[in-house]
Amino acid sequence: MNDAFLPEIARLVGVADETPDTKTFSLRFRDAHNGGNFHFLPGQFLELSVFGYGEGPFCIASSPTRPHTLEATVRRTGQLTGALHRLGPGEEVGIRGPFGNGFDVAGARGKDLLFVAGGIGLPPLRSLIWNVLDERSRFGKVTILYGARTPTDLVYKQELEEWGKRSDVELHVTVDVAQPGWTGNVGVVPSLFRKITLHPDSTLTYVCGPPIMIRITVHDLLGLGFKEEAVISTLERMMQCGIGKCNHCAIGHRYVCRDGPVFNCAQIKELVE
Amino acid sequence: MSAYPTTCPFCACGCGFYLLSNNGQLAGVAPSENHPVSGGKLCARGWSAHEATLWGDRLRRPLLRRNGKPEPVPWSEALDSITGRLQALISAGKPVGLLGSPRASNEENYLAAKFARAGLQTNNVDFSYHSTCRPLLSGIGDVYGDRTPTASISTIESCQTVLLVEGDLAKTHPRVASAVMKAVENGAHLITVGYRTTQMARLSSLHLSVLPGDEGEVITGLLAAVFDLQQQNRTPAAAVGGGYESFCQNVKNIKRTAELQQAAEWIVRAPRATFLLAVNGGHGDQSRKDAATFASLAAISGHPERPGSGLLLLLPRSNVRGACDMGSACGHLPGYVSFDDEKARQRLQQLWSKKLPSDRGWEAEELLQHVSGLIILADDPPSVVPMGQRAMAALEKIEFLAVLDAFVTPTIRAAHVALPIASFAETEGTLTNMEGRVQRLRAAANPPGEAKAGWQVLAELCSSFGVGDACSSTKDVLREITQAVPRYAAVEQLPKDDWGDVLLENSDNPDFQLDFTGSQGVAAPACAERPYVLVREGSFDWGRDPLVYYSPTLSRDYQSERKLFPNGFVEMSKRDADARNLSGGRRVRIASAHGDAIVPIQLRTDLKAGVVSVPYAFRDHLASVLGPDHATAVSIELP
Amino acid sequence: MAFVIEKQATTTWLQKLLECGEVIAPVRGPCGDILFSSVHSPDQVAWDFQNPLSPPKQVVLPQTDPLIKITRNAGSYEVEPVYDDGRRFLFNVRSCDAKGIAFLTQMYEMEPADASYLRRARSLTIISLACNKPCPLGFCICSGSGPFLSEGYDVQLTDLGESYLVEVGSEKGEAAISGASNLFRSATEEEVSQRQRMEVEAKNHFEEETCHFASAMRRISTGRVQDALWEKMSDWCLECGACNMVCPTCYCFSVKDLSEDGTWIRCRIWDSCQYAAFTLEASGHNPRADRKQRMKRRFFHKVSAQYYQRDGVVGCVGCGRCIKVCLGSTDMPAVVGAIRKGKWNE
Repeated sequence: MNDAFLPEIARLVGVADETPDTKTFSLRFRDAHNGGNFHFLPGQFLELSVFGYGEGPFCIASSPTRPHTLEATVRRTGQLTGALHRLGPGEEVGIRGPFGNGFDVAGARGKDLLFVAGGIGLPPLRSLIWNVLDERSRFGKVTILYGARTPTDLVYKQELEEWGKRSDVELHVTVDVAQPGWTGNVGVVPSLFRKITLHPDSTLTYVCGPPIMIRITVHDLLGLGFKEEAVISTLERMMQCGIGKCNHCAIGHRYVCRDGPVFNCAQIKELVE
Repeated sequence: MSAYPTTCPFCACGCGFYLLSNNGQLAGVAPSENHPVSGGKLCARGWSAHEATLWGDRLRRPLLRRNGKPEPVPWSEALDSITGRLQALISAGKPVGLLGSPRASNEENYLAAKFARAGLQTNNVDFSYHSTCRPLLSGIGDVYGDRTPTASISTIESCQTVLLVEGDLAKTHPRVASAVMKAVENGAHLITVGYRTTQMARLSSLHLSVLPGDEGEVITGLLAAVFDLQQQNRTPAAAVGGGYESFCQNVKNIKRTAELQQAAEWIVRAPRATFLLAVNGGHGDQSRKDAATFASLAAISGHPERPGSGLLLLLPRSNVRGACDMGSACGHLPGYVSFDDEKARQRLQQLWSKKLPSDRGWEAEELLQHVSGLIILADDPPSVVPMGQRAMAALEKIEFLAVLDAFVTPTIRAAHVALPIASFAETEGTLTNMEGRVQRLRAAANPPGEAKAGWQVLAELCSSFGVGDACSSTKDVLREITQAVPRYAAVEQLPKDDWGDVLLENSDNPDFQLDFTGSQGVAAPACAERPYVLVREGSFDWGRDPLVYYSPTLSRDYQSERKLFPNGFVEMSKRDADARNLSGGRRVRIASAHGDAIVPIQLRTDLKAGVVSVPYAFRDHLASVLGPDHATAVSIELP
Repeated sequence: MAFVIEKQATTTWLQKLLECGEVIAPVRGPCGDILFSSVHSPDQVAWDFQNPLSPPKQVVLPQTDPLIKITRNAGSYEVEPVYDDGRRFLFNVRSCDAKGIAFLTQMYEMEPADASYLRRARSLTIISLACNKPCPLGFCICSGSGPFLSEGYDVQLTDLGESYLVEVGSEKGEAAISGASNLFRSATEEEVSQRQRMEVEAKNHFEEETCHFASAMRRISTGRVQDALWEKMSDWCLECGACNMVCPTCYCFSVKDLSEDGTWIRCRIWDSCQYAAFTLEASGHNPRADRKQRMKRRFFHKVSAQYYQRDGVVGCVGCGRCIKVCLGSTDMPAVVGAIRKGKWNE
């Protein structure tokens, strides 16, 4: 039995600035064979240790179709993330995981997929997006709707450009508040619905972002005829152990770290706060 | 697994518990059913009492500042530096001083006070919380002298009436709140007075809602109503106290409302009653008068003579009372006797073999700003004193600052010399709670690095200034304390093991001098241009106390609050905010006659309309608005 | 298989156990409280006592529990588990506490299992002392956690007067006996009958056979407890967390790194779902910001059908500790009673 609290050591191989307070960290296990043993699903998360500061849950933003490097996109909010932001390539961190249930990728095959993300909500979906794009022929239409408060706050700016150029992806990006030089949409993310054709019966929708954005988006989607089981989100809670023991992330008898973080709207409705 | 019985170091309830240790390292806490105060219960702070000692940023070695950087040095060098620098300052005729601590033991406070008064020959001795609690201690003292009929926490639950002038008892003193709850469960009438519908207020039979500063008016009204009933009953007790004649005159003009009369009924008819007074940080004369009125109310009710009834001043920190009694209080000598008490002065001069200086000395906030040399025992004054960060600015200007503490605090970072001492969990000593109960601390672990017991370090400093020999044990210090403070005579008998405690002389038949001169309210009450009253809430910031700050479990709320509100916030009644269409989080300009500030608002449904409150932790951000007051009229506008 | 040991012989037995490992038992301390402590001599062990307030769960789940050690070497880190698997005997625990530890073990065995906890639990032998005379506040019969156990013990002792009946319930229990086998003889039929009779007598001591868990469970699990009732009850709670600290089946914790001379020890530390910051997120959002929400959470975990179905037992062993330690008046029987009646006793 492995010690569930024992991290593996990983090295930062790259740090990229996404926004003034968000960075994407690329990691490889120090012990090469650990990389081979680390199998994960999109939507799962890691517990990442910055030694001397502690440990925290971060969703895996890279796809299992590209396993040699793990990626996590992290906003600086406190001591731990602040310390992480001060690290550079070559420095070591600890990794435990993967934890959580992940997205049902197999169940999405053959379906049209709609991704709706706001702000820092794109990283959890990016893992699934790249998984889908790397196995493109297995899935139906792929539509991505993404927005942030301002153009500066958009993450994965380069990838957004890439996705926009692909003929097998429909991408719409918006901002709440424009900045000089912005020629794209202005408005909240749900306002992008009128730009696309929706097929509620054959589409799985993945929504991720600030709580209020998720609420409005889900409300609009259900109103447009989407079934609750077909609208999927990821929940965030204060976590400590990641293994369903410490009870911090428990909602009723469900544990966000084990039964989630991926839940569909029908399941979310049943959660007993 | 070993268990060490000790006294809780947090608030002044003085609960007891066992510190648990594994292989010499602290591991946790176990409750004690036999303890006279806690009886098997503990609050959240008590349950995490071991944490700060383990997780805190501990001072491990003496530090000397050289070229702006603190360097570890041997003990001898650090102590020599202190002795040398202080002597130089004294020879040059520059003022020196010392701050004792409301979280240090009696032994530590006593030796610190002795060091300053006899060794350094200065009466610039005080402790940071003193200016906040002194007016209330004085007010109660105006009525009862030094024989206050102090209640016992464990008797509260068998009272039929409890009068509580709040505070937020559930947060400041959970053990007392527990006793009040039990009393209410048993059918007691709880009367609360305050500007917030707190948890206790929701459990009350009657909540008297007042604007900040008007508590005195309610207490006065209650006093008059009780007086009426006592007149009817021709209770002899009311006639015994001095000041009765003038009292009868003054009381005629006070308004008695139906509510106050009902409350008075409950007070007078109850076989046993407890009177609880929070320290609300109002300062100066008004606080003193309100406390005297409160004490007079208790006196005239006849209760304090009865067993099971009494008064409690809700001191926030574990050893405020001990710091007062041990002589760390400005304007007082050990025993908390008046500075002018000749007999006490003679006794001390004989005991210490030194003549004592005759000038009163500065109080804490003044002291910080005027001394050239300062010793601070286990305290971080900027986080305690009302003047807040201005105290830090003052500390940084002091020519020579030496600090003794177990934990790294901002004050340590300003020190020229820092001496590492043991935390409460690593030392022997005694604490005096708000009941006047003296109890033991017992060491459950060794202090880290080169840290020593605080009393040991202070005894060495005393000795190096020619005052007494370095004491070899806390027993020696305690013996000396019994000689310096006659009231503490019995503490030498404190049993070594066992939950033995000593209740300081309490009176069964207290004399009292009725003192009631009516309430005046805040200096600047609400008016048309400034329709709200801004109040500085509470008198103590737990979030910055090292035992909370360094506890992973206890510090979370406070850290989050400070992170999310780096410029603080004020709380506004939701009703008032809705009437102005102000939503939570909105930044507003708050302005008084003193000045203004821009700060976000948080909406509360438990706050009385017309009241805006700033948590004590954020007082610095509203310093320009509050000025010298703890409550003042303000206007609120969009910036 | 039942044995008997004469009371005088227990000293020798304890001596033998002390040779095999650490023995933790209730010990009467100088302040009069009984506490579970390491003993170094058999005469320290208390046999006639009220269950200590501080629960023996700390033997398998210490309040500060070192999990892994992190060492720094130049720019590189090494991590290793902290091993605590020395042999231990927990002596004279009551049935409720034995059941409690069994419950915790079940929690920590759930995938992914917690090796650190299990190392301790698997090297711990529990010798429990059945309650002939149930304690005044206990209600163990309400959840099948006492006064006698029929399973889930390594060794169960019953006081027969001059001797103890010794029931062995596991291999570990057998091993605890075998080292001193000369002290034990087979129990007679009469002795076994006596033990059965004592169990019946003990059960009769409780005032009501039926308990209120069932009806409370129905209401909690179907969302039929009014918000207003939780609100009212939460006014009687002072958020001390004592209920969680002393509860044999509570196991919430946080994980924090303790720095120690150039290394860090990652520790598990007890936490309480009653503390406001328990669910406080880095963003400042708190899904259980109100006390009534936290109270509702606690009792859902303890008494809901959802958890009962998952765990096979109710999350309460009826030890009665929460009644003694609650600073307010929101102990298990009080809340369960209020839920059943639909109103709070005042």
